[in-house]
Amino acid sequence: MRVVIAEDLALLRDGLSRLLRDNGFEVVAAVEDGKALQRVIATEKPDVAIVDIRLPPTFRDEGVRAALEARRRTPETAILVVSQYVEQTYATELLADGRGGVGYLLKDRIMDVTEFVDAVRRVAEGGTALDPEVVAQLFSRRRDGPLERLTPRELEVLGLMAEGRSNAGIAQALVLTVGAVEKHVASILGKLDLPPSESDHRRVLAVLTYLQEDPER
Amino acid sequence: MGRILRPLISGGPYRALAFYVGELVLGIVAFVLLVVGWVLTLVFCITPLVVPLLIGLRIGVGLLAQAEAALVRGLLGVSVHPPVSSPAVGFWNRGLAVLRDPAFWKQQAHLLAAAPIALIPITVTYWALELVALPVWHRWADSTDVIGFIDVDSVSESLPFAAAGLVLLVVIAHLLGPYTAFSRRLGHRLLSGEPGRVLSPEERRARRLQALTIDALISTAIVIALVVIWALTSTRYFWPVWPLLALTLVVGIPGWVALVLERREISRLTLGSKAIAIQIGISAILAGFLVAVWAITTSGYFWPIWPILALVFVAVAHGAIVYARREHQIERLEESRAAAVDVQESELLRIERDLHDGAQARLVALGMSIGMAEEKLRTDPEGAQLLLAEARTDARQALEELRDLARGIRPPILTDRGLEAAIGALVTRAPLRVSLTVELEERPPAGVETAAYFVVAEALANAIKHSGATRVAISIRKIDDDLVAQVTDDGRGGADASGGGLAGLDQRVRALDGTLRVASPPGGPTTVRADLPCA
Repeated sequence: MRVVIAEDLALLRDGLSRLLRDNGFEVVAAVEDGKALQRVIATEKPDVAIVDIRLPPTFRDEGVRAALEARRRTPETAILVVSQYVEQTYATELLADGRGGVGYLLKDRIMDVTEFVDAVRRVAEGGTALDPEVVAQLFSRRRDGPLERLTPRELEVLGLMAEGRSNAGIAQALVLTVGAVEKHVASILGKLDLPPSESDHRRVLAVLTYLQEDPER
Repeated sequence: MGRILRPLISGGPYRALAFYVGELVLGIVAFVLLVVGWVLTLVFCITPLVVPLLIGLRIGVGLLAQAEAALVRGLLGVSVHPPVSSPAVGFWNRGLAVLRDPAFWKQQAHLLAAAPIALIPITVTYWALELVALPVWHRWADSTDVIGFIDVDSVSESLPFAAAGLVLLVVIAHLLGPYTAFSRRLGHRLLSGEPGRVLSPEERRARRLQALTIDALISTAIVIALVVIWALTSTRYFWPVWPLLALTLVVGIPGWVALVLERREISRLTLGSKAIAIQIGISAILAGFLVAVWAITTSGYFWPIWPILALVFVAVAHGAIVYARREHQIERLEESRAAAVDVQESELLRIERDLHDGAQARLVALGMSIGMAEEKLRTDPEGAQLLLAEARTDARQALEELRDLARGIRPPILTDRGLEAAIGALVTRAPLRVSLTVELEERPPAGVETAAYFVVAEALANAIKHSGATRVAISIRKIDDDLVAQVTDDGRGGADASGGGLAGLDQRVRALDGTLRVASPPGGPTTVRADLPCA
């Protein structure tokens, strides 16, 4: 699997490269700013680009902008944005085209190597990986809607679904059987009035779209 | 038939008549007020009294306009709310603000138009009723009426007129519809709350210069015309000297005002106050005018000395006031600077403590765990693994604490995208209905941005936590040189402005030389407003 990294801090750039190489990824380029990122995505067409939000020269949201632009031009490259902070606004922008192949994680998650590598793979394969904090932000604004009707267990499952995990992943995280997870998922989709879907990815996108809707409308 | 009579049984025409009667009364009151008000204002226009007079006039006009708007709302069913203009700061500015307020002029126009417009339907209706009443009149009173050219002196003769009166009433009932539509439009245009566009300083300057040019051109033309007429009529006495003298005032005073506003160095000579420079100049022009009048007329007793002394006295008094205020301002600036230093100092203290007790301690623990794991690696690999897992937890918690700390200093999205996005993010997370309007042309200075953000964040959090509100309105606007952030909720009110979060905000705002106002009467609504100077 071919990866491009955009991170301005050498310490993190090198660490991330090593971590990915050790886990069987091919790091084709590691760049420092948004322009260089767009260039290597266009030339190398990697499977996935891992992008920091704050990049030179302004150290604002260059990373998100560059990622969105690259995604528009080279749709086949998946984007995983990593940052020291999460903002639901950016998650919404990244997910806006409803295509999957995007992720948005706190840099903290990199420390959990297995999960992080898993998330990179998932995103590269067209899935999603949302940070639990983003999911919590999404949940908080729909507090008094149909989410009320979910049991605590179902809320947990929904949270993991929103993070982008597969049924197997959810089962592993909650120490349940896949069958039990499937039952929970069916019940959640029913309560939220969402259509059942064969593909994990598509189901996740439906859940995310639901969570991002304006509850007033 | 039913369609013809329908207006008579509907309430519309009656409401319309009631409206016009009300308008007539208000119009007459307004006429008296405007005549008296403007005469007084013009008489006192070179004294400081002009400012309270203008403000009084503004209040009077405002109240009458409110009454008219209430009539329009109640009887014509158009939602019209006269705008409430924000008061200016500074004595002369308050007077100027009245004159610059477009709503003031529109409301006067409406008040003056009210009586004549109301008079037409009232008079016509009165005539019609008079015709209808003719038979009744003749039944009891034995007199002769003259309607037009026809004498009416019996009940039978009056009957056709009564019928005509009835027809006229029906016609009026039909015409009142379109007529009130006109009144409605007029009320909407002149009384409604759409504030006029605020002119930018450049536009104001351009208009000022344009007005001055026109003024000078017209005056010159008048002078030339008068001199030519004088030459042609060849009277010995040079009478154009009088209009000429008057015109020097007309051109000289606006010219001086424009000059002071254009040239900074002039006001630098007078305590740096434009108002004083303008006043001294106008006083000098008036003095010159009076001396010229004295010279042309008697040249005897130097009477202009008295008005000139009065002008000098007023100028000196004005200077003293400005000086005192300047001192006060300096004092306040010193205070706010001290507050700023305090705020910074206590913030730094808090950050230092948070770092010391939080992230730093965690990193020490992390280092210890790794060190111990290193030692155990050969002898006790399982124990080493446990220690490493612990180290990872410590690292994650340190990161979380640092992130919270950074967010408290300045939220990242504020740096990335500015106020609108940052507050937008707050709003989407809020579990109640929030309307957000941001009207900013450019990003304000970083300090102002941060303060505005925290004011809104705190007020919003309070509304969510304590007020029981269901709706919150947030607006962020630029008013003159200030950024004004306002948060209003429909909750139960009774917020304590001196307690906890709000007091902290007050300090933060004052550190930027701004003001924080909290209005929260029991029963609500609560409004928190911060005015932050951007200059």
